Amino acid sequence: MAPDRDPVLPPILSLSDEDLMARVAEDEERAFGELVRRYQGRITNLVSRVLNDRECADDLAQEVFVRVFIHRRNYRRGSKLSTWLFTIAANLAKNEIRRRVRRRNWFSLDALQEALNDSAMIFADRREGTERALEREQLQKEVGRAIATIPEKYRVALVLRDIEGLAYEEIAEVMGLPGGTVRSRINRARTMLKKKLQPLRRKEGDS
Amino acid sequence: MKCHGVRRLFGAYWDDETTQAEREHLEAHFQGCAACRNEYESFSRAMEMVAALPRYEAAPDLLERTLARARRSSPARDTLPARETPWVPVTAVAALLLVAAAFVSQWSTLASGPRAARTTAGLSARVGLASGTGPVASGATGEARFDANAPVASATDSLFDHSEDIEFVLDPVTLRRGQATVTQPHQGLHTERAVISF
Repeated sequence: MAPDRDPVLPPILSLSDEDLMARVAEDEERAFGELVRRYQGRITNLVSRVLNDRECADDLAQEVFVRVFIHRRNYRRGSKLSTWLFTIAANLAKNEIRRRVRRRNWFSLDALQEALNDSAMIFADRREGTERALEREQLQKEVGRAIATIPEKYRVALVLRDIEGLAYEEIAEVMGLPGGTVRSRINRARTMLKKKLQPLRRKEGDS
Repeated sequence: MKCHGVRRLFGAYWDDETTQAEREHLEAHFQGCAACRNEYESFSRAMEMVAALPRYEAAPDLLERTLARARRSSPARDTLPARETPWVPVTAVAALLLVAAAFVSQWSTLASGPRAARTTAGLSARVGLASGTGPVASGATGEARFDANAPVASATDSLFDHSEDIEFVLDPVTLRRGQATVTQPHQGLHTERAVISF
């Protein structure tokens, strides 16, 4: 990779995604670093929420960017960079879900919840009361767990829409599906999620 | 619109994608239908819970790890199709060459066979002429035959290749369309045959 470029070129930070990608295609390392910096949060969050597995999400997020780098010259100027990134991320996440299902060896969601609880406790806001923080964290874990139990084809659409906030048209592009199918999948996913979260609402009401 | 139709619009209503008419109808329905109102509350609460999920941050070393892996990755390919080794054309050409070589070899064998035979015949004729035996004597029977046992070794010591020689065979052999026929010599007439080679 070429470490740097001519200093008269516009600074990397002010570049549009397209121009940034063009510089990545020219092997500019700083441009690639900026691309990772811009999208690492969104990609990590997307993959984490689809898999409900933070550790694996880090590896997959890294894989997304490495693939972008490897295929940097295949990027079509004019297409939205974020759509391309989300497409790669969604596909990798789906592959991971299918791999786990095939191998049937993925650890139980309960164990995952325990691990997440432990790590969440460490980072819990100390200003909040410990009990309340735990309740809040617990609720979030339950929601994450409920999302993870939705079938993959509905889950990915739900996460893209309701967590990443993508427009229906962009989700259709990311998933390579007609807009009507995407809407239908999101509606199904939301209905499923509502049913799964029903008990939590009751618990919430009790407290 | 009945409850079922109203509930189908929950998603669009949440996304604020309903038409003005749909929204007004939905809200009017909520006024009079507690079940649908509760359903929508349940739906919107679930959506809020999802929206309230904390965002996972990227691992602090993700950038460094990714850059390190990118540096190790192979160089990018051009978007144009790579000029891959044309194995198929090469194989096809090789096969064609083999066929051509086999054909040429066979052709040369066929071509040299009669030529060699002709040469042999010519030589035997010459030898026969010199010795007064051989094809000339047998030619009198009306059949052109070549004596395989005719001594040809003596003629092969020539420094010149006579394979392309043109032979003029005088009477009693006449050439018709490339086929030699032997005419019956007159009875009692001792004929001689001459072969002129260039």
